[in-house]
Amino acid sequence: MRVVILSSSVYSETASAMAVRLTQAGHVPVGALALRALNRGTLLRKVGQWGLRGVMDYARAKVVPSRGNRPGVLQNSYLRPWLEYRGRTLRSLREVATVYDFPVALCSDQNLPRSVKQLTKWSPDVIVFAGGNILRRPLLNVPRLGVLNAHLGLLPEIRGMSSPEWSLLKDVPLGITIHYIDEGIDTGHVLRRCELSNPTHSESISDLRHRLTAFGIDKMAEVVAALDRGEICATPQSQINNDTQFFVLHDRLRALAADRLERLRTPTTAGSLHD
Amino acid sequence: MSFNSQNAVTSQATKALSEAAGLLRRPQRIFSLTRKLASDRLRLALQQRHLYSYANTKRDTQETLHLVLRWILDAQRADGGIAAYYSLLAGYSESYPEVTGYTVPTLYDFARVSGDDALIVAAERATAWLLSLQMSSGAFPGGLHGGGSIPSVFNSGQVLQGLVRVYVETKRSDILQSAIAAGDWLVNQQQADGSWSGPGAYQNAAHTYYSMVAWALAGLSQCSRDNRFGAAAERNLDWTLARFRPSGWVDGINLQGHPNYLHFFAYILQGSLECAILQRRSDGVEAVANSAWVMLRKFETNKFLCGAYDQDFRHGRPFACLTGNTQMSCVWLRLFEVTSDLRYLNAALKMNEMLKESVAERGPRGVIGGVCGSYPIWGRYQPLRYISWGCKFFADALMLEQRLMRFLEAQDSEALPCAS
Repeated sequence: MRVVILSSSVYSETASAMAVRLTQAGHVPVGALALRALNRGTLLRKVGQWGLRGVMDYARAKVVPSRGNRPGVLQNSYLRPWLEYRGRTLRSLREVATVYDFPVALCSDQNLPRSVKQLTKWSPDVIVFAGGNILRRPLLNVPRLGVLNAHLGLLPEIRGMSSPEWSLLKDVPLGITIHYIDEGIDTGHVLRRCELSNPTHSESISDLRHRLTAFGIDKMAEVVAALDRGEICATPQSQINNDTQFFVLHDRLRALAADRLERLRTPTTAGSLHD
Repeated sequence: MSFNSQNAVTSQATKALSEAAGLLRRPQRIFSLTRKLASDRLRLALQQRHLYSYANTKRDTQETLHLVLRWILDAQRADGGIAAYYSLLAGYSESYPEVTGYTVPTLYDFARVSGDDALIVAAERATAWLLSLQMSSGAFPGGLHGGGSIPSVFNSGQVLQGLVRVYVETKRSDILQSAIAAGDWLVNQQQADGSWSGPGAYQNAAHTYYSMVAWALAGLSQCSRDNRFGAAAERNLDWTLARFRPSGWVDGINLQGHPNYLHFFAYILQGSLECAILQRRSDGVEAVANSAWVMLRKFETNKFLCGAYDQDFRHGRPFACLTGNTQMSCVWLRLFEVTSDLRYLNAALKMNEMLKESVAERGPRGVIGGVCGSYPIWGRYQPLRYISWGCKFFADALMLEQRLMRFLEAQDSEALPCAS
């Protein structure tokens, strides 16, 4: 199975861990295509999301090597088992690629003809989406089987953005869905839906998102392996309509979702109220 | 170009010249004008709209609400009416009956929220001025104060909204009589098909945004317990609902010489929704929800609503009509209230964040707390002006946001914890 990874940046922990996990499952990527990290749009967006200090901390963690036996800083600590390598932390897709020997190409947009040409050259069976642009038809046509995504919610109930938070607000079980990407928003055929066991172990919304990301990476590797063995087939989603599309959550509603998660974590209070 | 369009262009050119002359009278306004032009240019150059993020000002809702209400109070003229706008060229306009009418409920709402009696005094002064304008037919005149004595269906409807609220607050019988006189005139002017056209209608044509008049009549029906007004409101609602398209678009804005500004489209949705709620018409709520969802998707995907759209949203103009945005926020918030769909609330919260960013925290009277016609300020809708109806609808949106968030947060904290 020839697998290519799409990444939002060479510094993406998710893409790096995905590459390692796929390798462990016997599928060393034949290449990875990442967006350039230092473009104005991404920088401004990240400053908006994390604040200037958050961006500086992130950049420091990526650029300054970890000392001695101390593990490097990871935004998502659930990815550590995959990113620890011989006593050090792999901090970028480039470092992973050096260890496992596959090429990494950079682009400013994954849909550009030049990017599509690069992907075609790798002639992938599947492309695993680990971040980047909204994908257009020419790119979607490149792989033999399709482009795979690990969506952080259960499809078709929760499509779109902020899926874990919306799942909490809509009382939908927390989980991930491995599906093919088509031109709609999370409307492609589904390969596997997996509920997260023990969601109550998550301390916060961001912790929950990190756990789901790691869970998605693990399940993605299983699905790729199952596709390789011809043991899995995709099924179309049953109810694709406006009722299941969700958008980025405002901070005040995110706080409500966090409250709901907190209440899930403290069932004893529920017990006392029921008593 | 039709006669009407030619007229509209001529009248716009005359207005522009007379406003430019205002700058000659008060040249110091050049500072505010230059500052605003420069800041909008800078914001345009730096702004980033991304699918995964939204504008977050971190500005307090209550603080912004106070600023916006302060703008409205500053805009109240000596006669008691509220100016239509503050122009960066010519300063405040004359009082505007239409906006003064529908701003009265906003003043009462804020008085209730803040406990500030100054708002009630302002509402009473505005009401006294409005009553002085009422014609013997029961109608209210169109245009700005002193602009003419032609009775206007739309203005009468918006003043009626104010009168209904004053009656609800004060139970004054003279107010109810005035409101009923205005309502009677509106019912008499209504066409058999439920629309309003003819001399009392703008450009003599029927307009779907007159659903705002139907809303006022539905309100009058409730407080007067006279079903004639409710029946008239429903006739207009039926006429308007027949013009909703599956695409979400609504035909019949019908303004010659103007594009279909978002403000008018949002009027249609607001008027139809509120009328449908008062008359318990679920078909009306569903039709509005369909259109509001189309707008929500546009806003969520592009982080922006165009200032004007062609039929079926085929083409949008690249500026923001801020008043239309504030009204869409009101529509989404009310739809959340009716349907409990959190996605409407989510979109409205983000829209309000974006709008808060556009409200000036500093500047001279007329600028501070104001909502511009367009963003950037040189956009086609009410260019170079801070407009009173923008402030009115934004204040409504912020108060609705506060009320609904308080309710939601209280409900959520009282709810039984979910079983694990």
